[in-house]
Amino acid sequence: MNKVLIVDDAAFVRVAIRTILEKNGFEVVGEADNGISAVSKYKECKPDVVTMDITMPEATGIEALKAIREYDPKAKVVMISALGQESKVREAIINGAKSFIVKPFKEEQVLQTLSKILSI
Amino acid sequence: MSGQYSSEPMLDMFIFETTQNIELLEQSILTSEKSSCYTPEAINEIFRIMHTIKGSSAMMLFNEISSLAHCIEDLFFFLREQKPQDIDCSALSDLVFEGIDFIKVELEKIKAGDPSDGEASILNSNIKEFLALLKKSTPSINDIQKPSSNKKQQYYITHENIIPSSKRNAFKATIYFEEGCEMENIRAYTVIHNLKEYTEDVYSIPHDIIDDDSSVQSIREQGFKIFVKVDKTYEEMFKLLNQTIFLKDLELIQLENDEEFKQFEKSTRIVIEDREIKIPQLRDTGDKGHKEQADSHLAQQSIISVNVAKLDKLMDLVGEMVIAEAMVTQNPDLKGLELENFQKAARQLRKITSELQDSVMSIRMVPLSTTFQRMHRIVRDMCKKLGKEVRLELIGEQTEVDKNIIEHISDPLMHLIRNSIDHGIEAVEDREALGKSRIGIVTLEAKNAGSDVLVIIKDDGKGLNKEKILKRARDNGVLSKSESEMTDKEIYSLIFLPGFSTKDSITEFSGRGVGMDVVTKNIETVGGTVSVDSVEGTGTTITLKIPLTLAIIDGMNIRVGNSRYTIPTISIKESFRPQERDIIHDPDGNEMIMVRGQCYPILRLHELYGVKTDVREFVQGILIMVEMDDKSICIFADELLGQQQVVVKALPNYIKNVAKKIGGLAGCTLLGDGNISLILDINALIGVLRNKG
Repeated sequence: MNKVLIVDDAAFVRVAIRTILEKNGFEVVGEADNGISAVSKYKECKPDVVTMDITMPEATGIEALKAIREYDPKAKVVMISALGQESKVREAIINGAKSFIVKPFKEEQVLQTLSKILSI
Repeated sequence: MSGQYSSEPMLDMFIFETTQNIELLEQSILTSEKSSCYTPEAINEIFRIMHTIKGSSAMMLFNEISSLAHCIEDLFFFLREQKPQDIDCSALSDLVFEGIDFIKVELEKIKAGDPSDGEASILNSNIKEFLALLKKSTPSINDIQKPSSNKKQQYYITHENIIPSSKRNAFKATIYFEEGCEMENIRAYTVIHNLKEYTEDVYSIPHDIIDDDSSVQSIREQGFKIFVKVDKTYEEMFKLLNQTIFLKDLELIQLENDEEFKQFEKSTRIVIEDREIKIPQLRDTGDKGHKEQADSHLAQQSIISVNVAKLDKLMDLVGEMVIAEAMVTQNPDLKGLELENFQKAARQLRKITSELQDSVMSIRMVPLSTTFQRMHRIVRDMCKKLGKEVRLELIGEQTEVDKNIIEHISDPLMHLIRNSIDHGIEAVEDREALGKSRIGIVTLEAKNAGSDVLVIIKDDGKGLNKEKILKRARDNGVLSKSESEMTDKEIYSLIFLPGFSTKDSITEFSGRGVGMDVVTKNIETVGGTVSVDSVEGTGTTITLKIPLTLAIIDGMNIRVGNSRYTIPTISIKESFRPQERDIIHDPDGNEMIMVRGQCYPILRLHELYGVKTDVREFVQGILIMVEMDDKSICIFADELLGQQQVVVKALPNYIKNVAKKIGGLAGCTLLGDGNISLILDINALIGVLRNKG
């Protein structure tokens, strides 16, 4: 089963993603609500893929992305973005994010993105 | 209502989180306002909260909330990035507060299961207008910002540096993305970014995918075209491009020659510039800061939110266990036996069960601080509207009470605070004329007093006017005894009667005469009392006395025939065996008793509940005088069994309907000997008697 780490400061979004993933045979190995704990959780859980919110307290998703990629250059990170954050998403892509999902997202979008990234 | 996420838990989650965020937001604004204006941290926090609300409400399809949150987010984004000077903070706060109120109202609708149908368009345009004004008034910063934002551009066009390599294969690919995947231009950028690993020779149509706003539209309609030269076979290339996420359609053609590349080579070669974007280091505050962060994070994670219903259930079970423990350790079968080891074990069991009961109780306890903090907002709004200056002082906000009780006292508190400011605190000029300080002070204090919590609302305003109250009472005909006999306290208490208002003019906030009696009613539902004290010219003090919890009450158990009843000890005034000569019958045959010159109606429990008993004469049984709202009655029972703390349980459904018809029952409880006892609702019993009379 593919292991996923969910990072988002909104518990609502975490539950939404978790619900989708668990229904579809993914294993959610951890959740983090800020960038700092995202990095430590990544080291602890070694997930196959991370869903990463961009706007968060402590360290932002992009800072966490950089730290995770530094620790594990093969890390697969998908950004969760809101409309209007184009420049942030581009910054994330430059820093090694594999793709992104735009809120409000649909179930298929999350599934398609994650499964495709895992298949690469 | 809301599509894919409409399931109950998601909705609960949404409501819970948004409510919490809104509260945070309110605090943040109030603090900002106090410290004259918004700090960068506050601005950032508000921005972040609005961003979160925008996201989650959009997922739940509450579009109005989402659009409003978006507008506020934009506004604070501007504040954060441009740092404009001389903002009208108060106007800004008003604007955000209006937004918060809108979201609150919508949340209430959602909670009640109604459609969220409010329209935020006016608010939105107000916010946009405000933002536009801000932008206009800070042109200089805008000008400075512009060149730097141009610098950020990721793509640029070069004319030189082209080394055509004929060895490579040339491809033309057209990519169509799935509808609704959003940010197509960034997705196109991702494709190019990935190709860059293999080659520099990448061209695209549209070529300016980031800065040209129309690129999204064009990619959606005509697809994203890429021309690439790379050392890869057709299959490899096909596989690579097929990994594109949200790919709907891919056309890949291997080009025979460079013909199609010619159009780019002169002018529009695209180079992806991997310029390092400046990002703050993950942690630049050193080790100490890091540790603190980690600690605070730990503290955060050790808290979970639990459904109150689950806690109620746990409480229930623990209550039953306490009883079961008594049933075992005090079992009649053990009488006369010398069981040293058993007694030891029993003592241990008793100790643990009582500790368990205490800790379950403490789980349900919540500090009053959230409720108290909310009052800041009321004070602020009232002051603004009434042109008064008032400072709210909170004392003992960490005092804890049962969660259920908090819900019941929030409204009364709000009402009392409003009253204090509206009727109590004088206008600024009046205060100065009286030699008082300009700013009025309202104190909200909470403290423990035995098994009760006292909440005290105190103001240094003009106090209550006895004459006015008495006159009003006379006009309304609510005086029950002669004026000369009344103590000050009794006169002040008149303000809690229904329909009582001494304010001649009605203001927006209070004075409709529906307030104070609602306060009393709410407080009484949770078994509390309200009292008032006042000194004319120096202020008024209102004291709410509230039990710590609803789940456990001190009760007096009584017996009628084979049935057991429990009376809340708080309402018992006295109990006594009457003498036949004190009993009076009125013309309708109702029984009364004379005690110290006062007449009290008698309620025979065995008659009311149809219980068989041998004790029918008053001299054989006992009368318990109970009081509620200054009304007293005497309850006739066979005997008193003793006092104990009982765990209140709701009546089971099969008995509820019958009980409703007869009235007078608040719930039931299990006694130590295994008997079930019915808890009497004194207020209702008084009502029953009145209806009879």
